[in-house]
Amino acid sequence: MTATLDSAEIPETPDAPEVAVPRRPGTFRRGKGLVGLVLVGLVVAAGLLGPLFVSWDPYQQIPGANLLGPSAAHPLGTDDLNRDILARLLSGIRVDLLISFVAVPVGALIGCAVGAMATVNNTLDIAVQRLFDVLLAFPQLILAIGLAAVLGPGTLSVMIVVVSVEIPIFGRLLRTAVLRVRESPFVTAAQVVGAGKGHVLRVHVLPNSLEPVLVQLALSMSVAVFIEGAMSVLGIGVSPPEPSLGAVLTTSLHYLDLNPLFALGPLAVTAVLVLGFQSIAQAANAARGT
Amino acid sequence: MSRYLLRRAPSALLVLFLASVLIFLVIRAIPGDAAAVLAGPDAPPEVVAAIRHDLGLDRSLVGQYLHWLGGLLTGELGRSYLIGGDIAELVGDGLGNTVVLTLAALVIAVLVALLLGPLWAATRSRWVDRALTAFHTAAVALPTFVTGVVLIIVFGVVFRVLPTGGVPPDGMFDRLDITAQYLVLPAVCLGLPVAGVLTGFLAETLRGELRQDYVTTVRAAGVRRRDIVLGHALRGALPVAVTTLGLQAGALLGGAVLVESIFAWPGLGLLVEQGITRRDYPLVQVLLMLSVAVFVLVQLFTDVVHAWLDPRIRLGATS
Repeated sequence: MTATLDSAEIPETPDAPEVAVPRRPGTFRRGKGLVGLVLVGLVVAAGLLGPLFVSWDPYQQIPGANLLGPSAAHPLGTDDLNRDILARLLSGIRVDLLISFVAVPVGALIGCAVGAMATVNNTLDIAVQRLFDVLLAFPQLILAIGLAAVLGPGTLSVMIVVVSVEIPIFGRLLRTAVLRVRESPFVTAAQVVGAGKGHVLRVHVLPNSLEPVLVQLALSMSVAVFIEGAMSVLGIGVSPPEPSLGAVLTTSLHYLDLNPLFALGPLAVTAVLVLGFQSIAQAANAARGT
Repeated sequence: MSRYLLRRAPSALLVLFLASVLIFLVIRAIPGDAAAVLAGPDAPPEVVAAIRHDLGLDRSLVGQYLHWLGGLLTGELGRSYLIGGDIAELVGDGLGNTVVLTLAALVIAVLVALLLGPLWAATRSRWVDRALTAFHTAAVALPTFVTGVVLIIVFGVVFRVLPTGGVPPDGMFDRLDITAQYLVLPAVCLGLPVAGVLTGFLAETLRGELRQDYVTTVRAAGVRRRDIVLGHALRGALPVAVTTLGLQAGALLGGAVLVESIFAWPGLGLLVEQGITRRDYPLVQVLLMLSVAVFVLVQLFTDVVHAWLDPRIRLGATS
């Protein structure tokens, strides 16, 4: 998983670039962008509307339906606790979407706020940079494991983990972007005519620094799906009986010999969702045209 | 060279120190009395007190931290009460298996990238380009647990040609052909994302190099296209590839935990998982610190290799 966006290539104190007016005719109307939107859209639609069309309840234990193979009544079969897998899968999508679309933006917001504030004050900047260094010194999944050890399993824990993983990434990203934009001639011009520090940051610098943040947002959403699944596989994800993509997949791992189709549902949905986010990120990145 | 290393070492040490403090405090923040949990619900108070003393929990916070740090440096890591045995021994046992797995994955990733990267950069065929784009996107995006389970289903359930879990029964070096059979699925699974990222970066950098003036000069001199890519452009692209590889060390470490869990590979990752599920915090603490230390050291090492490969950085550092 690539989690950080070409941060390695951006020098610490870059030359003043010209801030290009973004030209992106139809990034999301063709090619990768369209593919990504369609893939994510499919999963979102399945998660929002799907449960309405399945007559089983994801928690309902159906008498006599233990580990059944696919049939007309249960298209993906039933699991070890006699529950309909399709119903659990579709409800599980909701949990993953909740984590992706709530935890990632929250982490991004906090990270950007910290990153932007740090650029105002030198001492603060050094302190925040050291903090980010330490947080980024943990491989993402290792950080997740450490936090989960403290928090215990559960959906909320997964969300807290995702937020904590994203904060330093977005903080670092926005700080680099702000430092780069701040060297632009139009910022100097604003300062020359007497604009205050806060005003320049808010009105001139920040809006022009957000582009990489938007790309990272899509990338981070795919990372969130990854973290949720990984934590479930390791037994520290959402707590049973709540369904999630990772939880359904983890249960299926014990029965691969018996019914490989059991695993196929969560595998396909996870793959489609992650590939969708990734394609959106790649298309958005290409549209930045730098 | 050594001057460059000296310049970079302090910040790495600082990060390691802060990370150790963070890990120590976070593990201490877990609610509940570790000694009471270990002793069990019916234990008399003197047993709890004895365990508390044994764990060093009756010392001050700073004292506990220094004791732990000293243990880390001398290798005396204490006992694991829940899994059983000396922590240092447990870690030692797992480390061997994890190193074998990670190295195999690394070799696969580098070989794939060295093969596909130049091909992608130099190809003029639209279909090759599309195929490699698809490979890159899939390899980078698909989580390890998805590819791992697919590999198990294909090679272990449908075709039944390869073992899907565990390590060779008679040790890694008894029969190399059997070891290879056990190793191939987990190693491919772990190496695939790294291979994808590395291939992408290598191809990207190579394309940049191929646009440089010196390439035009070499081409004008009549050197074959293949030799230009492999003999000239690759040399310029290698430093970036090395840095990318270093940054991927984190993905490898985190991925190893997952892959070991999926393929039942008894390494450090499986140990972490056991430690977490059985709430063996002294063990988890050591393993977290170990992975951060490896990650930081690999990045430091990467920077040094990068500087060694790229004189611009080395000389820039000394000036």
